[in-house]
Amino acid sequence: MRAAVMRQASDLQRAQALSGYLFLLPSFALYLAFVLAPVVVTCILSFAYFDPMLGSRWVGLDNYIRFFTDDRSQQIFWNTLRFTIFAVTGNICVGMLFALALDRKMPAIFLYLFRLAFFLPVIIAAAFVSIVWSYFYGDDLGVINYYVIRLGLSPVHWLTSSRYAMMSIVIMDVWKNAGFFMIIFIAALQGVPKTLIEAAVMDGASYWRRFFRIVLPWISPVVFFAIVYASIGALQVFESVVILTRGGPGDATRSMSIYIVESAFDSFEIGYAASIAVVMTIVILAITIVQFLASRAWVRH
Amino acid sequence: MKSLLTGLFIASSVTFAAGAASADDTTANLRLQAFGGDAQLTAVKHAIERFNQKYPNVKVEVAIDPISNGWGDYVTHVLSQFNGGNAYDVYGTAIETFRTFEERGLFVPLDDYIAKSPGYSDFDPSLFKYSSYQGKTYFIPIGWNNIMINYNRELFKEAGLDYPKNWTWDEFREAAKKLTKRDAAGNVTQYGYEVPNQNFFVQPWFLTNGTSPLNADWTASNMLDPKVAETLQFLHDLIHVDKVSPIPGNSTMDNQFDAGQVAMISRGHWIIENAKKAKLDMDVANVPSKLNGNTVIGFGGYGVSKTSKNQELAKELVGALTSEETQKEEGELGGGVPGRKSAADSPAFLAFPPSAALYYQSLPHTIPVPSPANFQDVEKIFMRNYVAMMADEISIAEGVKRTDRELNESFKRLEALQKAK
Repeated sequence: MRAAVMRQASDLQRAQALSGYLFLLPSFALYLAFVLAPVVVTCILSFAYFDPMLGSRWVGLDNYIRFFTDDRSQQIFWNTLRFTIFAVTGNICVGMLFALALDRKMPAIFLYLFRLAFFLPVIIAAAFVSIVWSYFYGDDLGVINYYVIRLGLSPVHWLTSSRYAMMSIVIMDVWKNAGFFMIIFIAALQGVPKTLIEAAVMDGASYWRRFFRIVLPWISPVVFFAIVYASIGALQVFESVVILTRGGPGDATRSMSIYIVESAFDSFEIGYAASIAVVMTIVILAITIVQFLASRAWVRH
Repeated sequence: MKSLLTGLFIASSVTFAAGAASADDTTANLRLQAFGGDAQLTAVKHAIERFNQKYPNVKVEVAIDPISNGWGDYVTHVLSQFNGGNAYDVYGTAIETFRTFEERGLFVPLDDYIAKSPGYSDFDPSLFKYSSYQGKTYFIPIGWNNIMINYNRELFKEAGLDYPKNWTWDEFREAAKKLTKRDAAGNVTQYGYEVPNQNFFVQPWFLTNGTSPLNADWTASNMLDPKVAETLQFLHDLIHVDKVSPIPGNSTMDNQFDAGQVAMISRGHWIIENAKKAKLDMDVANVPSKLNGNTVIGFGGYGVSKTSKNQELAKELVGALTSEETQKEEGELGGGVPGRKSAADSPAFLAFPPSAALYYQSLPHTIPVPSPANFQDVEKIFMRNYVAMMADEISIAEGVKRTDRELNESFKRLEALQKAK
């Protein structure tokens, strides 16, 4: 009797397990086909010279050696890091300032209006935003330089000088993405217990003291998430750079993802591009690990 | 990403069904990838209608690519179609891409078809010469473009300048200075010239100085030739010393030319279409000479892909696309100079710009745009460094060295590939 019960349960379990696996199958198959397989193939390709029409051969570590010895790739690597540092700092800080500004009592209509206004750039495709900003940034006919000249200053080469080009892209990126972090931070700020804040107010703590001592520690997990999320996005920056500067002048604004695409589909060096992609993945992984380790010191769960 | 690109590339995709009844009852589907703007699409549509009169049961599907990012991107696009087993039957493409495609054996030789079709003798022989590879012709030429100086006649009159005929670099430079206007604060309100921001447009400056960024048979860099640096210095000085041109940016200044904000630009015949629409009082002039008056030529052609299941029909379609009627129409609508001399002699073609006859007259003094099998790589390398030099990011001396090194690395990779094959 007992054995029969056991066997019955086991059948049920098996049936449940089977249906469980069947439910998993579609997403797992998609994951396998579109995520895992490309990752594995990319890793394999990074050790080869690959051309589907003219033939392929193994080249060992040549692709990696080329990446780490070529001065172009060095510059592009640092460009990407530089962009990430500035864009993440800008997005998080501006997003936080907007969130703090909107996290207060005001007529609902204004609240929705401001939230919408700051969030709107997020939902517009980066490609359109970049095209519009390229008109703002034009040297001679650009909107910004029109006012710069009106103020009696000499026009700024926003996109045609390596001194400003990267900053111009960062400014646009912050304009576009800060609204996203604002929404996340507003949600987090509303979760800070009112009682804590009221107690601090009673104790006479100033606004910024309350922010740094109570609010920021309370929402630190959210800030941490935002930083990781923004970093991964910034490391993959692509279309805004392509449209604004095509990576120029020279290589001044070229990012790693642009370099991957150009190597793979302009130079047809699929293998070399794969090796850059592997390096980029490792860099993103490393930066995320560093952020996680550092978060132990300042994130309070 | 890929689907986005494909979406951008294929501006429109139209299917033409059979029309009139006669001749052949072959039933088939053909796919044609053409390039150009509205004018080309119209001419192509009409060519297909003529083709369908003979083959009423052959359906031709057309995709047209505006080539807004240069020929390198088009090569990528076409190669990915072949790689994906999704190639079209007939491709319209340009000289820049011929070597890449021929090297990979993607198109079938058309010599038999050319031999049995009378009327191709009307083409300038040089066009067929450059569409051949290792003794076989893979593409039948259509329109061509050579780079000329396009100038705004009104602005010339305003500046008290005579219209240019045969001029030198120095005369050009003086004209550009006189054509540049500044406001009280010294900011430019009208530029004399646009230093080109595309590989094809900038070539005449090298050619007229008797040099080129690549060697004569397109197998190595020629960047270390002092004349290359001299040419780059001249262009650089137009921007930074005379300040008659802005730094080459991402977008071409065609609109500013049509709006009278730039007095001269280096372009081919394709800008005529818009200049007419803008009612611009413009004309073309030969490129300014230094050692000679040579300019660059590029041209398009149609080829039949090796993977086509209906190669003979596809050849017939190429025949319709390169016929005199199609050529005439393309020439008149604008977009290129017809490959057939007869089509370029039509009154409609010669009506505008006033010196339209110059296009054919300058043909003997043209040299094809350097188009090695690694063109898309060469173009990127050259343009990236060229823009950096023009923007004063790196010195000319440093820039030519860097370009030379990168170009030769690319040629080395190409050679390794050719050996492996």
